[in-house]
Amino acid sequence: MSRGTGAGYDRHITIFSPEGRLYQVEYAFKAVKAAGVTSIGVRGKDSVCVVTQKKVPDKLLDQTSVTHLFPITKYLGLLATGITADARSLVSQARNEAAEFRFKWGYEMPVDVLSKWIADKAQVYTQHAYMRPLGVASMVLGIDEEKGPQLFKCDPAGHFFGHKATSAGLKEQEAINFLEKKMKNDPAFSYDETVQTAISALQSVLQEDFKATEIEVGVVTEKDPVFRVLSTEEIDEHLTAISERD
Amino acid sequence: MGDSQYSFSLTTFSPSGKLVQIEHALQAVGSGQTSLGIKAANGVVVATEKKLPSILVDETSVQKIQLMTPNIGVVYSGMGPDSRVLVRKSRKQAQQYFRLYKEAIPVTQLVRETAAVMQEFTQSGGVRPFGVSLLIAGYDDNGPQLYQVDPSGSYFSWKASAMGKNVSNAKTFLEKRYTEDMELEDAIHTAILTLKEGFEGQISGKNIEIGIISADRKFRVLSSSEIDDYLAEVE
Repeated sequence: MSRGTGAGYDRHITIFSPEGRLYQVEYAFKAVKAAGVTSIGVRGKDSVCVVTQKKVPDKLLDQTSVTHLFPITKYLGLLATGITADARSLVSQARNEAAEFRFKWGYEMPVDVLSKWIADKAQVYTQHAYMRPLGVASMVLGIDEEKGPQLFKCDPAGHFFGHKATSAGLKEQEAINFLEKKMKNDPAFSYDETVQTAISALQSVLQEDFKATEIEVGVVTEKDPVFRVLSTEEIDEHLTAISERD
Repeated sequence: MGDSQYSFSLTTFSPSGKLVQIEHALQAVGSGQTSLGIKAANGVVVATEKKLPSILVDETSVQKIQLMTPNIGVVYSGMGPDSRVLVRKSRKQAQQYFRLYKEAIPVTQLVRETAAVMQEFTQSGGVRPFGVSLLIAGYDDNGPQLYQVDPSGSYFSWKASAMGKNVSNAKTFLEKRYTEDMELEDAIHTAILTLKEGFEGQISGKNIEIGIISADRKFRVLSSSEIDDYLAEVE
């Protein structure tokens, strides 16, 4: 059993490097990008929308089983970008946690509370050597009773923030640049505008026009605060609206 | 919980007698955003930069300065996720103290227990030290108090202190400006001026955070409009 005294082991487990960095956490961020998928989330005036690429590497795969969008409760959704296996483990624990919360306290787990729980779990993996950080960036969305539509992003380092719009994955930085321009003057997007901003951001950043089967879209709205995955017909309507607009 | 394969400390002595992991942790603190605290005659103020990674981040969802008890607040420099762990543990310890003694925990006791947690993580198996330094500000029967706790678990009481990126300039500035009989309002102005010294970009109520506690023994975080008012006074 190798002893991690810092002499060269700072790259193998989450102990500090001489510059005060955690290499394993930085590598976990790279793993999120290595999945080759980009995801986008946008928060509107009364809705939140998340979009991600649906890459099915093999034609023999059952397309319906390939997904990165997970309902955690009826009202909370989670979009996982990165290592799918790590994502499933996280989702499974999150579902349990949200259910226990509802049972213990008598009301639905709010978005920011779930995000904090996910982020705190991620922090534990950055401090204890026996578990590696998860290679997943999670976007959590839902409608908060008091604060309205909420979009949170949690990363492998244990950070979590609320966002007006955000991105994760391969083209994360390009997407954030695109979204910063769009959201600069604090626009209050309607439901359709929210969805179309998210989809067109993805199209612009990846420089390709999608078919409805190549992306996954999840939404929550104040009118219907249930987390919903859009059907291919609904995605098609939005895609058509975008191409007509341009 | 805790793999038995890792039941040895990751923080061990180097041949020259140093605990290198703790020194690396201090590096992590030193590259964090600047924060500072000033103890006045009638209260304590803590302040920190709040630079967010993008304008897309909703700054109302982030609060760096946290309460440990109604009369004790804390600010950190370094790794945010690590500070959340310490805040959570300290809150629980404060509550346990109250349950046992039916009295609010004195500032020194809470600082001692927080520091003990940080020390544990420099010696226990399979964990790394915390990458944060904390400034704990409180007001109890011993008056206003300010303590700084480091990743090693050592703590000292300070009249004024700073941590993070701009620590040396900030401390020099504070040494010049600090007076023993300073009032809380002066301290707030001095805190803002100190932050302004090393601030890159335009300082405003949205990219700094200030927490204060006075003789009313209620720690509170100022709203961004209150900070803007103070900034206008300082101009």
